[in-house]
Amino acid sequence: MSKGLKADVEKCTGCQICAIVCSAHHTGKFNPSESRINVLDMFPEPGEVKLNYCIHCDEHPCVEACPAEAIKLNEELGVYYVDREECTGCGACVEVCPYDGCWMDPSESYAIKCDLCGGTPQCVEVCPKGVLKR
Amino acid sequence: MMADGYTGNILRVDLSEEKVSTEPINREWARQFIGGKGLGARYLFDELKPGTDPLSPDNVLSVWTGPLVGTMVPLTSRYVVITKSPLSGTFLDTYAGGYFGPELKYAGFDAVIVKGKAPKPSYLWVNDGKAEIRDAKGVWGKDMFRTEELLREEVGHSTARVAGIGQAGEKLSRIAGVTSDITRNAGRGGAGAVFGSKNLKAIVAKGSFGVEVPKIEEFVKMAKHMLKTDVVDNPEHAGLVTDGTPIIVDMSQDAAILPTNNWHSGQFDGYQGIDSDALKNRVFVRKKACFGCGIACGSWAKVKDGPFKGSSTEGPEYETLGLAGSNCGIMNIEAVVRFAEDCDRLGLDTISAGAAVGFAMDIYEKGVITKEDTGGLDLRFGNEEAYAKMPEMIAERSTRIGDLLAEGALRAAKAIGKDTEKLVIHSKGSEYPAYDPRGSIGMALAYATSDRGADHNRAWPVASDAYGDGDPWSTEGKAAICHEEQMMKSYKWSMIFCDFYGVSPENMAMYYTAVTGLPADADWLKAVGARVWNLVRAFNVREGFLRKDDSMPERMETEPLPSGKTEGKSVSRAAFDEMLSEYYKLWGWDDEGRPTKRTLEEAGLQEILGELDYLK
Repeated sequence: MSKGLKADVEKCTGCQICAIVCSAHHTGKFNPSESRINVLDMFPEPGEVKLNYCIHCDEHPCVEACPAEAIKLNEELGVYYVDREECTGCGACVEVCPYDGCWMDPSESYAIKCDLCGGTPQCVEVCPKGVLKR
Repeated sequence: MMADGYTGNILRVDLSEEKVSTEPINREWARQFIGGKGLGARYLFDELKPGTDPLSPDNVLSVWTGPLVGTMVPLTSRYVVITKSPLSGTFLDTYAGGYFGPELKYAGFDAVIVKGKAPKPSYLWVNDGKAEIRDAKGVWGKDMFRTEELLREEVGHSTARVAGIGQAGEKLSRIAGVTSDITRNAGRGGAGAVFGSKNLKAIVAKGSFGVEVPKIEEFVKMAKHMLKTDVVDNPEHAGLVTDGTPIIVDMSQDAAILPTNNWHSGQFDGYQGIDSDALKNRVFVRKKACFGCGIACGSWAKVKDGPFKGSSTEGPEYETLGLAGSNCGIMNIEAVVRFAEDCDRLGLDTISAGAAVGFAMDIYEKGVITKEDTGGLDLRFGNEEAYAKMPEMIAERSTRIGDLLAEGALRAAKAIGKDTEKLVIHSKGSEYPAYDPRGSIGMALAYATSDRGADHNRAWPVASDAYGDGDPWSTEGKAAICHEEQMMKSYKWSMIFCDFYGVSPENMAMYYTAVTGLPADADWLKAVGARVWNLVRAFNVREGFLRKDDSMPERMETEPLPSGKTEGKSVSRAAFDEMLSEYYKLWGWDDEGRPTKRTLEEAGLQEILGELDYLK
């Protein structure tokens, strides 16, 4: 059982409020390109919205792939996060993730992924349509 | 970058010289005019020579955001194209939601100001503080669905945002809009033709700079609270959440102000084929929102079978259902979805295109035009097959009627002659939106005094007189409604909020302060609104517009409506003139509708006095 966010993506309107608040929380700016949740509005075809984020899977291949051991366990929550200070930006985690759950920051210098905001995911709190659940 | 919502930068593009440059935003003007409509109008007033042909290289084309755009303030994801309108000849501000506005800011610019004309088809690529003019040969002639796809590939960003023109704008149709995010349109006034006249296919933006505000933690706390209490749980938004604008079809049918068969009726027998229930039951796929919006008024719609199978659009919205539905006698929502998709792809304003097609159907039925003019189409009211071919004929200027309608209904009628001009329902050449003044007299004034030609987004007295409990035929208080709402919308569009956010002036001021760190209150906003509306009026006066141009089409007086609550109703010229005079007084304008010196001074517009010949 993964410990990450659950999404009822059929209800998602693509408003990006999750990504807006995520970027504010993690970077101090409104900047969806630095968000840990990625909203893809795919129109006209297939006419869907896709949400990418780390689902905190049990296998966590990113942890094993990281040569710098920069993906660390938050013991309290039981989920892994990227330690930005130790991340070398090699991108191994991005390549190995089967869920498109992590990606490079726009600066290309380190990887970013959901850390559940230390236990109170901001996106879950703000989603106006109740798409996201913890 | 200062942490005050603004990027602080304007991107200057000279297409003739093929040069781009960056300059700091005029901070003094930003404080006086905020952004969006107001700030864009100030720059345009300063930089556009009066009398300029809107389709000449000398016209100034600008795209504006505002300080709130891209922040967590709800429903401020918009951008506005500001230029001189090729349709009405007036000031033009035309808006779109979607995602392009925030992306432009994230890419480092509050605005883009474009001058000149590129020697060959080009597009502008804006990315993290840099911009380049690029060759558009790979997308010229392509529709906007395909163009977005191809330009994203070219710039190497699958999520880059694209605002541009389809074939209609390329071929200089005066009813061509700018399409962004494939289904969001800065539709009105012919902004697409201004792009086309400059050989500018599109602006492509991708950015990672973000937007900063002074106190982010407090800000997020406030924004979360407002999103919940003022947007999601706000009862004023309920109809938009469940239905979106198509809910208005039934309201207009009931009030008998739904434009039908080129405004010959206010009620449409087939309205249930195009109303909100028809949309929900037959073509609805999912709700769709613009950036940062908790309402999601939009519906992604797709036709599941029949002759229009596979067509999809976001909407159709009420104006499209009115002008391109009932006003063309079309009672099949699937046909309207096809029409709307084609307008998105080809870059046509659905209001003007629908009105133009309704007009063409009228003169076809009257025998003024024949199959020789329509490429063999039997262009009767309600003929779905012929109707569905019209957007392409207009955008491509194929057939005589397609070529004529591409100029807008009024110019088409003037070219056709034979007394057809009186069949065009417009003010200043801009086709009326879907509220018949014969059952909402205030709308006659709202259309006549709208700064960009007939329009519904400057004042909307229909809310109280036809849909509310006001008197639809009494002139009393209608001038005051228009005056008050135009002032309010002038600052609301300068910030730039979505029309559908029922936000109070106090809360708008609160947001402004939270973003910019500068003091504001409701009175200050009113002063900004008065400044902006007077500035735009002065712009139009400088272009030669006077009282005679604040007009109402003759048929509103001479042709009473046939059925329902508006049976036998019309708008008398005397009543219209009375409202107009009262309206001018409220604004402090003279009898010709020109702002007096005192009015301009009180609005803080001393610095433009020297630009206005009538004050000398």
